[in-house]
Amino acid sequence: MSDWRRIDIDAFDPESGRLTKQDVQPPHASQITLQEITPKISQLRSLASSGDSKSAVALAVSDPPYSGDENTKAEYFKAVLETLTQVRQADIAGVVSGLTSEQQDTLVKYLYKGMSIPEGQKQGGILLAWFERVTQVAGVRPVSHFINDRNTV
Amino acid sequence: MSQSLRPYLTAVRYSLEAALTLTNFSSQEVERHNRPEIEVPNTSAELLLQPMHIARSETEQVLIEPSVNSVRISLMVKQADEIEQILVHKFTIFLEQRAEAFHILRRVPIKGYSISFLITNKHTESMKTGKLVDFIIEFMEEVDKEISEMKLFLNARARFVANEYLGEFVY
Amino acid sequence: MPYQSVAAVYKLVKAPIYSHCFSQDKSLLAVTCKNDCLVYRFDNGPAPQLVATLANHDKTVTAVDISIHGRILTCSQDRNAYVWEPLSDGTYKPTLVLLRINRAATCVSWAPNGYKFAVGSSARIIAVCYYEQENNWWVSKHIKKPIKSTVQCLSWHANGVLLASGGTDGFMRIFSGFIKGLDNKESVAGSPWGEKFPFGSLIREFYHGSYIEDVQWRSSVEKVGYVSHEGALTVVDYANNHAKVNAPDGLPFNALLWINDHEILCAGFSNHPVLFAESGANQWQFAKDIDKVIASASSPIASGNEDLDESEDANGNGTFGISALRKFKQLDLKGKVSTDVKETAHENTITQLLPYAEANGQVSKVSACGLDGKVVIYNI
Repeated sequence: MSDWRRIDIDAFDPESGRLTKQDVQPPHASQITLQEITPKISQLRSLASSGDSKSAVALAVSDPPYSGDENTKAEYFKAVLETLTQVRQADIAGVVSGLTSEQQDTLVKYLYKGMSIPEGQKQGGILLAWFERVTQVAGVRPVSHFINDRNTV
Repeated sequence: MSQSLRPYLTAVRYSLEAALTLTNFSSQEVERHNRPEIEVPNTSAELLLQPMHIARSETEQVLIEPSVNSVRISLMVKQADEIEQILVHKFTIFLEQRAEAFHILRRVPIKGYSISFLITNKHTESMKTGKLVDFIIEFMEEVDKEISEMKLFLNARARFVANEYLGEFVY
Repeated sequence: MPYQSVAAVYKLVKAPIYSHCFSQDKSLLAVTCKNDCLVYRFDNGPAPQLVATLANHDKTVTAVDISIHGRILTCSQDRNAYVWEPLSDGTYKPTLVLLRINRAATCVSWAPNGYKFAVGSSARIIAVCYYEQENNWWVSKHIKKPIKSTVQCLSWHANGVLLASGGTDGFMRIFSGFIKGLDNKESVAGSPWGEKFPFGSLIREFYHGSYIEDVQWRSSVEKVGYVSHEGALTVVDYANNHAKVNAPDGLPFNALLWINDHEILCAGFSNHPVLFAESGANQWQFAKDIDKVIASASSPIASGNEDLDESEDANGNGTFGISALRKFKQLDLKGKVSTDVKETAHENTITQLLPYAEANGQVSKVSACGLDGKVVIYNI
C-alpha cells in the first residue's frame, strides 16, 4: 500500500454519483468485432486503389465502428488514413462538398484522431488540407459536434 | 505565410472557436468552489470534452483540451536542433515568469509541450472570444518568427565572437 | 417606420449577467450581478433607475425569477436561495429557502401560479419548494433519481405539474412536481404525458449526449424544446417524436424561447438571436438571423500601410530612420481594430431569452441578457 495518501477515496463512495469515462459512453446494442469490419476495410482499399476517391471517402466516413474495441478502431483507422492520403490535393474540395453533414462530422473525427497519433502526424500536411476544406464548407459546426460527441473513432 | 502554415492556423482557429464556449460552472465535488474542471484531477468524466490534437508535423503540434468551464491549450514549438531547444526553453521560461501579466498563460506547460495556456469562463466573460483566438493565433505566428530571428542573431554573434577571438591566433 | 430588430439596449453593469427577469407589468427589472441581484425601475426617462440591491448571497448569483405576485427569487453558488417579498416602502424582505442542498444552486423557475418553484443544483438534485404556513418558511422536496450531473435548466408546464429539466449529463428529463395540497388533479386530467403524476416520478427521459443548456415547454401544443452544447435545437413531444436542427453558425445556444406554436428563437455564443420555424410535421429549419452583422470589407491596417508607403515615397528611399519609424508605426497598429465595424447589440454571449411583449400566444418583443452586462430588447 504505497502512496495511500493519494488514493481518491471519493471514487469508492457509491453515493458520490461521479460519472466515469465508461458511464458517459452512449449505450451500444452490440459490439462490432474485427472480423465484421474486415470486409469493409478491404472494400475501402479496393475502392481507394481503383482511384474512385469520392466513393472511397464516403464509404470510409459512413457508419464508423463506434462500438468496436481499441484494436478494431485502430485497424479501421489505418484504412481510413490510407484512403485519405491517396486522394489528390486538387480533388479534396470536390470530395468534401459531396459529403452529407453527418459524414463531414465523422471525417473531422478521423482528422483529429489522425493528428493525435504518430502515424497521422507524419501526414500532418495532408490532414490539415482536408481539415481546411471541411471547415470551408461546414464552418465550425463539425468541430462543435466533435468535442461534444462521446462516440469516439 | 508559408503554404502549410495557413491550414495549420485555420485548424487551430476553428478548434478554438468551438472550444471557447464556456459556462460558469460550480464544482460538483467540492462545496462552494468554482474551479477549472480541466485542471482538477478526479473530476466527473462528463465535464471534460473530447481533446483536439492539431499537428503540422511530429514536432509542431497544438493540443486543445476543452471542458465545461475551461480550455487548456498547449503548443509544441518546432525545435529543429539543440540551439532552438535552448532558445525555446529560455523564451517560454521568460514568459511564464511573467504569467500574471498575460492572464491566460499557464505557469508550467503540460508534459511534452513548450508552453500552455489556460482560458477559463472568467476570461471569456471579460474579454471578447474572437480576440482571445486572435491572440493565440498571433502568438503561434510570432513565436516561430521570434525563435528563428534569435537563432540568426545568435549565429551572427557567435561568428563575430569567433572571428575576433580566433583572429588573435592568425599571424 | 422601417423594421428595426433592436428595440432598446440597456448597458446596466460591468459584469456578466447570467439571468434577468422583468416583473409582470415590465416596470421592474431584476438582473444578477456578481454576488448581488440588482433591481431596476423603468418609469419616466430613458435610463432605468437602480432601486434595490439584494445582497444576501456571498457567492455568484446564478439565476433570478419574479413570480406573478412580484416575489423575487434568487439563487446562488453559495447553495442558498432567497425569496424577496416586496414591501410597501420599496424595499424587499428576504426569506431563506430551506433548500437542503450541499452544492451550488444553478437555476430557478417559479411555477406559473406563483405558489411554488423549482431550483436546480450541482448536487444532482432538483428542489421543488413551497411555502409552509405553520413554520413561516419555504420548504423543499427533492427530486434525485435518476439525475447524474448538474441540473442547468428547468421549465414548468402551464399546468404547474410537469417539470422539464436538462443538465450536463446529456439527458432531458420530465418529472412530476405535484405537491399534495397545493396542486389538484384536475390540472393534469387528460394530459397526454401520462396517467398518474406522483411527486418526483420520472415521466419521460430523452437521451441527447451533450450538455442541455436550456429547455422550455410549449404547453399549448404539448411540446418541449431544448438547446444543447453541440449547437442544436431539438423539439420533442409526448409521442417521442424528435426533431433536431443545427445552428447556422455552428456555435452552441444558451437559451431558447417559443415565439408561437411554430417558431422558436434561440441565442447563445454567436451573440445574436436566431429564429427557427416548423416547416412540416416534426421538421424544423432555420428561418432567419436577427441583428446579425455583415462583415465589412475595410480594414484600418491596410489603409495604415498605404499611408506609410506614401510618406516613404515623399521622403525618398534610404532616408535615415524611416525603417525604424515604419517599424514603430506598425507595432503601434498592432491589436487595433477599425472603429467603423458594426457590432451586434450584444457584444458577448447571450445567456437568457424571455418574452417582453406577448399577445394571443404570439411573442412580439423579446428581452435578452448577456455576458457583456447588457439587457437588449429585440423586435421579432
